[in-house]
Amino acid sequence: MIKLILNRRFDMDNKELIKKAAWVRMEVLESVVSGKKGHIGGTYSCVDLLVGLYYGKILRFNSRNPQWEDRDRFILSKGHASLALFAIFKDMGIISPELYGTYGKNGGLGAQVDISLPGIETNTGSLGHSVGIAAGMALAAKMDSKDYCAYTLIGDAELFEGSVWEALMFGSQHKLNNLVVIIDRNRLSATEVIDDDNSVFMNFGKKLELFGWNYLELDGHNMDNILAVMRVVKSSDKPSIVMANTIKGKGVSFMENKANWHHGVPTEEQIKIAREELRVQWK
Amino acid sequence: MEVNKTDIRDAFFDEIYEIGKADRNMLFLTDDMDAFGLRKFVRDFPVQFINIGVAEQNQVNVATGLTLCGKKVFIFGICSFMTMRCFEQIKFNICGMNLPVVVVGVGAGFSFDSDGPALHGTQDIAIMRSLPEMTIYNPPDAMSASAVARLAYEKDGPSYIRLDKGVYPVIYENKHELQNGFKVVRSVQAVNIISTGYMTSVAIRLVEELEKQGVNVGLLDLMRLKPVDPLFYKTIENTESLITIEENSLIGGLGSIVGELLIDNDSDIKLKRIGSQDRQFIVYGTRDWLQYLNELTLSDLQNTILNWLRRGN
Repeated sequence: MIKLILNRRFDMDNKELIKKAAWVRMEVLESVVSGKKGHIGGTYSCVDLLVGLYYGKILRFNSRNPQWEDRDRFILSKGHASLALFAIFKDMGIISPELYGTYGKNGGLGAQVDISLPGIETNTGSLGHSVGIAAGMALAAKMDSKDYCAYTLIGDAELFEGSVWEALMFGSQHKLNNLVVIIDRNRLSATEVIDDDNSVFMNFGKKLELFGWNYLELDGHNMDNILAVMRVVKSSDKPSIVMANTIKGKGVSFMENKANWHHGVPTEEQIKIAREELRVQWK
Repeated sequence: MEVNKTDIRDAFFDEIYEIGKADRNMLFLTDDMDAFGLRKFVRDFPVQFINIGVAEQNQVNVATGLTLCGKKVFIFGICSFMTMRCFEQIKFNICGMNLPVVVVGVGAGFSFDSDGPALHGTQDIAIMRSLPEMTIYNPPDAMSASAVARLAYEKDGPSYIRLDKGVYPVIYENKHELQNGFKVVRSVQAVNIISTGYMTSVAIRLVEELEKQGVNVGLLDLMRLKPVDPLFYKTIENTESLITIEENSLIGGLGSIVGELLIDNDSDIKLKRIGSQDRQFIVYGTRDWLQYLNELTLSDLQNTILNWLRRGN
């Protein structure tokens, strides 16, 4: 019965997924406008990834029972992209429209996520924790002979946290092939450009393979590519790390590749332009 | 168990062994810290033991993930590293989600004396007690060290256990005495000493020395530093003077706990705090010598207390 429901609502072809991503971006824009705050740039860079994961049958979950014990665990480590997740959760009925409408209000939904919300696995807000937490979850699955996977979506600037590297070493040491780390590689931290000549990203794939990880790359705005890569990720005997090349602010021309859209609220004129651009993508 | 002949750590790990034997869902993680008493657990329950390596942040993060998936996790290492190197992870993950993870730190006070200042545990109480969800145990003897392992295991939330090393006189004679987290070791007088952990064994001798000089003082051991049981204040509220002694820094330790208790109760009881000075000790030496530098030797304590009492406090 659950499967039927999932099929009815979320069995989409890739064209529909692309439209869904445009809808999520519109929802995010309206939330930022009404809530007068939000990390719109870093949210837009990972919208296609989130839509692929949730609607493209990559994550195993039950929207009617978010606490289902055999679900895949997914951590949006860059929790400041919460607005995209809230829109998806509202669409799937995981959170109510009433709760969704509390964004930006005192005591309502906020800039991060926490376990008081259904479908959320861990509190976010402090970077560098999630790879270790997901590793612990993946290890628990192995110990309990369960077949769920632990996923985390981290920002590229998060790789500057030493604790991420502690966890990367732990993941391969314990052969956690049910652990998947996705990097939202939008090349912009909160304040500056982080290009491939930065020591963190120099020979990154080679470095991670030497660390004992299965390394993959994808275009984080190409739904076919997202789904194709994410479907083969789990077939490795090693933990997997996926470099998703993305564009900060993707979807709205004046926000794309602009560090100053890490967070911010558009002006009236900018809102009109953004709405129009997103409407074209949605239709 | 001959509690007065058992090392405080062995008593603790014997109980950990029993917990792990009965509950195969219980896991023991370490940051590459060994302990004699732990070896039996590692030998008999290797699947339940994980040496994370020298990576305390990852230790807490992995413990978080394991706990969120239903495991009961103890994490173990030297108390200065276990509380400070990964404080943010403990604050945000373990306490922020009120997870039943037990943080176990050895090396309380100056117990790892000549190993140097990095290993001295004189500030851990101050920072751990800033966490609302955290229960803090500082056992003074083998019986209490054993019992707190079980109490922390049974708690549905985070705990911090700090362990000294060595064999200490019996303070707690049975588990029933532990339920309020403190014990009146020598009956309450007008003047009383309050101590915790290792310092309670020093305080027993101190009370005897003061008696020889005609000064009768009571003695209380505060084993559970957070939350302090309301009965503790009721026990001391009609006294005149209190003296706290500890190896912790005077900032945020036992003296602060008792001082805050008195202030919050609008008490006019006089309080003298004795502990490590508010400065860094980048030196190497024995515990006795480190106590000498901090004016915490038995004779220092006597002199400080007698002078304070003579001044009419």
